[in-house]
Amino acid sequence: MKNLIAITIALPLATTTLACRKSEPPPATPAESATPATTLPAPVSVSAVALGTAIGPDKRVTAAAESFGAKDTIYSSVETVGTGHARLRARWSFVKGDKTAKVDETTIELDSAGPAVNEFHISKPSGWPKGDYKLEVFLGDAETPAAVRTFKVS
Amino acid sequence: MTNPPDDKKDDDMPDFSDVKSGASSTAPGAEVFQTYEVKSGDSLSKIAKNFYGNGNAWKTIFDANTDILKDPNKIYPGQKLKIPPKIPPKL
Repeated sequence: MKNLIAITIALPLATTTLACRKSEPPPATPAESATPATTLPAPVSVSAVALGTAIGPDKRVTAAAESFGAKDTIYSSVETVGTGHARLRARWSFVKGDKTAKVDETTIELDSAGPAVNEFHISKPSGWPKGDYKLEVFLGDAETPAAVRTFKVS
Repeated sequence: MTNPPDDKKDDDMPDFSDVKSGASSTAPGAEVFQTYEVKSGDSLSKIAKNFYGNGNAWKTIFDANTDILKDPNKIYPGQKLKIPPKIPPKL
């Protein structure tokens, strides 16, 4: 009789325990949630462009200008951020109405480890024709410039 | 560097063939070059003469463009060539 009572009590208990185990949520996997998110380094991008008549040893423009004289050397300082290989093209153009004449196109190819300052400059010994000019800065083979600055020679 | 004269000159636009240009970077090992688009009738020695004042410097241009040029006698209109800066003569 004692055995029968013991089985009667033990059987529902065991069933309940099993049922409870089945409904328990799966244990969390701490290894997955503890893994930090990996961030890819940002590619090189243009952060600032300045024009002027002189640059310093850090290649930043020291005498900013938007209007130049015929005999000026025209400097542009192009600051970049990001890392990796990049091709920075500076295209200088003369603009007359809807016509554009290419003045110069120079490229800097760099492997950047962080912020960098790049300078481009042009001069014309016979003197710049008066008028409107623009500087377009491109990254890689992009057709659309990353930055555009306009200036005058007067 | 000096720009070569354009084959197709627009009489209405000024001449920029004597423009001198340069560039530099704070990024170590940065490489600077000009870009020139090949026109009909061009040869490497003609381009070298225009940029460097010396047609014999054609190999400088060829060496900088071996990724797109396999034969220095075969260049085609529309190709964009890297033109390295002129190396000053050693004193």
